Amino acid sequence: MVDGAETPLVHMERDLITSKIQMTLIAVLGHGRFELHDDLTASDVEGWDSLTHMSIITGLEKEFDVKFKLREINKLRNMGTLIELISAKLA
Amino acid sequence: MAHVSDRAQNLTLLLSSMFFYGWADLRFLGLLCVSAATNYGLGIAIEDSRTDSRRRLWLWCGITFNFGLLAYFKYFGFFYESVVGLLNQFGGQHDQLALKIALPLGISFFTFQVAGYLIDIFNGTIEVCRRPLHFFTYVFHFPKLLSGPVERAQQFLPRIATLRTFDSNLVTDGARQVLWGYFSKSVIADNLAILVDDVYADIPGSSGSTLFFAAMLYFIQLYADFSGYSNMAIGFSKMLGLPLTINFQGPLFVTNISEFWRKWHISLTSWMMDHVFTPISFLLRDKGQAGSMIAIFVTFLAVGIWHGAN
Repeated sequence: MVDGAETPLVHMERDLITSKIQMTLIAVLGHGRFELHDDLTASDVEGWDSLTHMSIITGLEKEFDVKFKLREINKLRNMGTLIELISAKLA
Repeated sequence: MAHVSDRAQNLTLLLSSMFFYGWADLRFLGLLCVSAATNYGLGIAIEDSRTDSRRRLWLWCGITFNFGLLAYFKYFGFFYESVVGLLNQFGGQHDQLALKIALPLGISFFTFQVAGYLIDIFNGTIEVCRRPLHFFTYVFHFPKLLSGPVERAQQFLPRIATLRTFDSNLVTDGARQVLWGYFSKSVIADNLAILVDDVYADIPGSSGSTLFFAAMLYFIQLYADFSGYSNMAIGFSKMLGLPLTINFQGPLFVTNISEFWRKWHISLTSWMMDHVFTPISFLLRDKGQAGSMIAIFVTFLAVGIWHGAN
């Protein structure tokens, strides 16, 4: 397996991203009543509406030290696409 | 059994829609053809542009064209009369020219649909439509042409790309929705209108509680009227095998204002959310609450302007 050695690293990075996203969400929304998985969407999370959405985006930008483009934000469909976007930015 | 292609279905739908729209005024039909053709071309121009600046240029051409058209037909007369009225107040002797610009039916609805289509191509959230028949069928589709819903291209275009087969359940469901919409409009809204108009015709002579009650009834009238129209449009389209976006989801039965806006005139609210609120709040995202407040203000200003100048 060519990429066998890389797989654990990729997983670790993904786990780290996921937990940082979780922390940001808790900080902005003020609660942790959600379970983070790839299919999670904003409407599944209490308090994640159009108003808190940009605070979450800003929080993630600060947390990961990245800048998003509006076009990227518009394409987000669920948590999986958000994690992919962040990991592509960090790569 | 003779085979019907989706092309024949779309062509029939397009020609019927054109006949429907042209029936009111042939000039409007010409205008809508020009608008549809221009936006079809602009969509391809945005998609095929090699550089970002060129894409942006075509987008702004589209925005200017669409909203210029809307501004001319919907607001020019109002501003003209306001300016002349103002000048005359300060002693001017300007005659009001008989400036009557006929308002093309459904112009606010089709303008928002095609402008949204261009913005979505620019943002990369939808694929450009390279089939004129599909695009024209989307723009002209008669059930939604006059009063919405503001149907999004990404939802409608894939539906007309496939053959529709007769589905008795869908037809029955659609017919039921049309009937409910008709009831809502002609029984509930039109009867409430008689009560409300009576009170509003004599505001100084009505007591406070009567006015309050009339205002409440007017709200219900407005809801029954508009959601009735929407249900009829959605129902007719459903009978043709093309369900449209749900436009009202019991907005009078909510417990807070943000839920209300998620359930009232959903197609317009979601258009405004994606094309006005999100870009502005994104741009001002470092400004915290002030940024959100500006975004909300501008969005509701846009909603207000959309509903008319006066």
